[in-house]
Amino acid sequence: MATAHGEKVLKYLEENGTASSLKLAELWNEDHQKIVGTVKSLLCLGEVIEADLQSSALWDLTEEGKQVAKDGSHEAQVFNAIPPAGSTQAEIVAKVTEVNSKFTKDMAKVGFSKAMSLGWIVVDKSSGAPKFIKKVTSIQDKVQEHLKELATGKDTLTNELRTEYKKRKLIQEIIIKSYLMKPGPSFSTSVTKQETDLTPEMIASGSWKTKEFKAYNLNALGTPIPRGHLHPLMKVRAEFRQIFLEMGFTEMPTNNFVESSFWNFDALFQPQQHPARDAHDTFFLSDPSTATNIPVDYMERVKKVHSHGGYGSQGYGYDWKIEEAQKNLLRTHTTAVSARMLYALAEGGFKPAKYFSIDRVFRNETLDATHLAEFHQIEGVIADYGLTLGNLIGVLYEFFRKLGIEKLRFKPAYNPYTEPSMEIFSYHPGLKKWVEIGNSGIFRPEMLLPMGLPEDVSVLAWGLSLERPTMIKYGYDNIRDLVGPKVNIQMVADNPLCRLDKHRGSEMKETDDLQDLENRMDSIMTRLRGIETEVKKLKRQGKTTEEKLTLVIEADPKYPPRSIQTLVRLLVARGDARTIVTVHQHSSLASACPTDLMQWPNLTVSDGSRIDNQCNLTWIWKPIGRHPIVKIVNRPNGDIHGEAAIARLLARILESWTDCAMYENFDSSICSQIDDWLDTWEGCIQSGDSKFLMLIRRIQNQLGHPDGRKWLVGPLPGVKSLADIFLSNLLGDKLNTLNCGRKLARFSPVKGI
Amino acid sequence: MPTISINRDLLFKALGRSYTEEQFDELCFKFGIELDEVTSDKLIILKEQGTERSAGASEEIIYKIDIPANRYDLLCLEGLVQGLQVFLGEKQFPAFKVVPPVTVPQRLIIKPSTASIRPHAVAAVLRNIHFDQNTFSSFIDLQDKLHQNLCRKRSLVAIGTHDLDTVHGPFFYEALPPDSIKFKPLSQSKEFTASQLMDLYSTDSHLRHYLPIIRDSSVYPVIKDSNGVVLSMPPIINGEHSKITLDTKNVFIECTATDLTKASIVLDTLVCMFSRYCGDQFTVEICEVETPEGKINNYPILKNRHEKISVDKINTMVGINEKADEIANLLTRMCLTATVEGTGSISVEIPPTRHDIIHACDVYEDVAIAFGYNNITKTLPKTNTIASQFPLNKLSDQLRDQLAQAGFTEALTFSLCSKEDISEKLRKPLNSVPAVHVSNPKTLEFQVARTTLLSGLLKTIAANRKMPLPMKLFEVSDVVVKDSQRDVGARNCRNLCAVYYNKSPGFELVHGLLDRLMQLLEVPLDQSGSKGYFLKPCEDATFFPGRCAQIIFAGTVVGIVGVLHPDVVTSFDLNLPCSALEFNIEPFL
Repeated sequence: MATAHGEKVLKYLEENGTASSLKLAELWNEDHQKIVGTVKSLLCLGEVIEADLQSSALWDLTEEGKQVAKDGSHEAQVFNAIPPAGSTQAEIVAKVTEVNSKFTKDMAKVGFSKAMSLGWIVVDKSSGAPKFIKKVTSIQDKVQEHLKELATGKDTLTNELRTEYKKRKLIQEIIIKSYLMKPGPSFSTSVTKQETDLTPEMIASGSWKTKEFKAYNLNALGTPIPRGHLHPLMKVRAEFRQIFLEMGFTEMPTNNFVESSFWNFDALFQPQQHPARDAHDTFFLSDPSTATNIPVDYMERVKKVHSHGGYGSQGYGYDWKIEEAQKNLLRTHTTAVSARMLYALAEGGFKPAKYFSIDRVFRNETLDATHLAEFHQIEGVIADYGLTLGNLIGVLYEFFRKLGIEKLRFKPAYNPYTEPSMEIFSYHPGLKKWVEIGNSGIFRPEMLLPMGLPEDVSVLAWGLSLERPTMIKYGYDNIRDLVGPKVNIQMVADNPLCRLDKHRGSEMKETDDLQDLENRMDSIMTRLRGIETEVKKLKRQGKTTEEKLTLVIEADPKYPPRSIQTLVRLLVARGDARTIVTVHQHSSLASACPTDLMQWPNLTVSDGSRIDNQCNLTWIWKPIGRHPIVKIVNRPNGDIHGEAAIARLLARILESWTDCAMYENFDSSICSQIDDWLDTWEGCIQSGDSKFLMLIRRIQNQLGHPDGRKWLVGPLPGVKSLADIFLSNLLGDKLNTLNCGRKLARFSPVKGI
Repeated sequence: MPTISINRDLLFKALGRSYTEEQFDELCFKFGIELDEVTSDKLIILKEQGTERSAGASEEIIYKIDIPANRYDLLCLEGLVQGLQVFLGEKQFPAFKVVPPVTVPQRLIIKPSTASIRPHAVAAVLRNIHFDQNTFSSFIDLQDKLHQNLCRKRSLVAIGTHDLDTVHGPFFYEALPPDSIKFKPLSQSKEFTASQLMDLYSTDSHLRHYLPIIRDSSVYPVIKDSNGVVLSMPPIINGEHSKITLDTKNVFIECTATDLTKASIVLDTLVCMFSRYCGDQFTVEICEVETPEGKINNYPILKNRHEKISVDKINTMVGINEKADEIANLLTRMCLTATVEGTGSISVEIPPTRHDIIHACDVYEDVAIAFGYNNITKTLPKTNTIASQFPLNKLSDQLRDQLAQAGFTEALTFSLCSKEDISEKLRKPLNSVPAVHVSNPKTLEFQVARTTLLSGLLKTIAANRKMPLPMKLFEVSDVVVKDSQRDVGARNCRNLCAVYYNKSPGFELVHGLLDRLMQLLEVPLDQSGSKGYFLKPCEDATFFPGRCAQIIFAGTVVGIVGVLHPDVVTSFDLNLPCSALEFNIEPFL
């Protein structure tokens, strides 16, 4: 790799400071491609040299051009073959081809017409059959002279001549890519190859001591490591579980999804006609459909308190039925388990207890983005003598403080088995409002006393769902993205640690309007800079090298981008016919495009030959929605989205071709006004009709200028700015349907020419 | 939780002052109701039917307010305003009176034939009432709200209100064969038999929901006056003849029911709310109801119940320290008239509007609400307990950690699934699976409780086919199987399932995982089978023949490991080999 050639280049660089690969090829009389190869291998060594890729264009003769340089132009050869008395075309052609075997009939045709138009020869029909005779005695073959000169490397052709010779396929443009080199930060004239990495052999032989090692690219990401993952919801569950354990709560055995109506409802003093016991809300079972072995004495006490009251209660005064209590179901809350636990606590002789559980419950509800038929319920229960509502509030503050929630407030609520009942609200700094985060209360005596718990024992309880805080924590708005088989495993893999007391996720972020605005500005600026660079490149091509520009614009026939159509027309009209437009419809369109979209008035649409045009513009109607896309061919990542951005691009191209002023050729204050109008329009597209009416109002104000102006931006009447072209076309359709003031009617669409 | 729609301007006019939205929201929060939405007829129509339909609609602001399910007394503007004004201490709660009429009371005679279909009825009369358009609408709306909530969609109680001056008592409540009932129902111009009405209303978006309550009965309930004029056919429709209008002066209210307690509550609520518009305010005229046994009961009951409450008990339950008279004041603001009786005791009078108060604890809550939940000093309970984990959950979590450390990723799938997920798709007949069946699933996804974790994991893989191979998933969770030993006939089983999905089956990988888990559980490989674990070749329809083994632990089968049958793979929309391991972890506790 590190060849003698490479060192020769480095030596030259050391002596001369810079070097062009083209110059070196000439100097050393080497093939240029070989020098380029050397440059590339030097670049691989790291920062030994720096090299800029440059492309330059030069004009060279085609094969036909070389013939002309040698034998004279077609017209001169035709002229020279005509005898003094003149001759028929066939005879002349025969003669020329006899002299010059490479001369074709086509060349002869060109020769005749050129010679005629130059006034060298005329047709004489006086003797019947048409004869060509010389009109002048001698000629100067300028074409041959020009081409001879070009062949020596001197390019003095005028633009017109160049265009003409190019059309005659006598000359062609050749692009040469070359490198301009200069010494890099670690420049040296002796070349050693850098090693990529340490090997066992190097360690064994000690050769690492003398080697140089290639630097790591620390901006790239490392390789993903193979690993397993726990599910995000289970991680949040673990955090809640930990909190309960820290607070001294014992975990309840909740591994029984099937429950009887008795434990799920009746034991909780939930009457048998309660809506929650409807088939609309609860999953009942057909197999096994009923439960047995309900404790008989206890059941009698429950029956009595429901139907007749007792324990200080009026009861519900209805006919309690055991059949209803025996119906099996999928538990609708883990409180069914709490009831079993409290009953067992009473049976075994009451001792103060704190219980918790986090497990699945089932509701036969209508499903939506935040509700599933099964979810996890978190429940906490405290049973002790003389507990108060103040105790419940105190415990809830401590519990939620461990989750990083400090601000709570409580709302009176109704729940059949708790009294008092409180809904728990917390202040959400992101949403800037109070949101309900759980339910709580003190179990009713009608529930506790039939179990046999002492009369002065109170039981505090609260519950919340596990999914909701998890969705808030990780910023999900569809619960199916979090649980169930449709979950994206990549999400599970990328999910961070669960630290509920650490406010870092999307949920707790204070939104700052000013910050939003700044972010928006930043993103607009970044996009604009991207477009700017793109256009600068285009400008360079357009002006210096005349490289072909191929644009593909995709737009939806449902939302034809009128302003872009207008700008394309302007490109065709003002760009000296350098642009050829072809219009197509994409096969994915549901129905054919209307004719007015396929055939644009006042525009020659090409038959598809795209050889000599400077700009080939392909327009494709495609169902892509409101935002058209332009692709600049041969330029990956060069896609530009949205009507306003594309309009900016086309305006810049137009300005670079014609030196007219419509956008950036105005001074910067006008230019920024134009940007402002375009941005306002983009805002309208995002947020719909209300903003649109504001835009109309702004336009009306602007047109209300005392000079009765009919334009939005710019110093002079008759000079249409991009903003005028853009907005007048965009609004054209809408204005017809809206009741616009007189002023607005002045603002008629700019239609191209 | 019922939601009522109230015209904001009417509400503020009745309250005698106006509020900003925030102020009113705050008041609701304290009182225990919730301002759910602020809207207008126009906005509602706009949202549901589009711009054109909303053109002429009213733009008056409507407050939608959520009312707790047990506060029937707040379901109309009249009740809400009364509740709030008393809460704010601006008004006193009125006393309701039941009086006999000048002449003989109206009588409703219940015939024995009603016993089989809708045995109870109660009635009352509102005399010299004055409706305007707003109060009339409110009266109709309240009946509708009561029907939907307390009356359980008319199945427990159905209300009929009639212009008393168009009919002549006594009234007869009986049950007759559908074809012998014929009358002109509300808003119809001709007479229909009851059977015809059932057809007529079978497509009515509102009434068709109530038809099943009586449709299959051989007799339908009907109320007629002494001339045989049909007042109503509860719980479906009233007669056109006796319908009330804005000009109605005397209203006859009947409630028929399957639950007498609730019928009485409904009647009390209705007359308490609207007796304010009677010539004699807050006064209701008595009706006699004759039972089939010939017993005469007077309605409405409108009883003020008295409850004696200990001040200490209140202070202890709520966690405050207030004197008896202060607590009496607090209760007065909740529409409960309270008087201090001697030391430490309060007598609370519970009016007929507060049927939700059935125990002293309901009174404690009202004290707490009036005191303000957010004014109560927070304290920590002194309960001192030692925590412990549920051993099965602890083991599950330890194994889950180990599975993740072994490079497997946790999935979280549903406990409910379709029948085919646990049978056909796994190549097993449904009747061989001891599954628990749901009787009322809304979709196929909730037909049965899962008996295996495997289907859920395979569905997860199917939804993640774009992920790089191999895919290694696990779940440690409960499945449900029938078990006649349990009181409910079923039990949960804590299973561990792991699957490996790749271009090659990778049986050795899930096998290796099993060995690793056994190593962690300190279970040795023991071919004799008495102490440790071993694999015993078996055939299972879910697995590929010759590529399947039972996991035997301490002599019993605890699970299975193998390469899935290709038909199982394809039935879950997968196309690569897959090996799986599933066993019950409970024996390893």
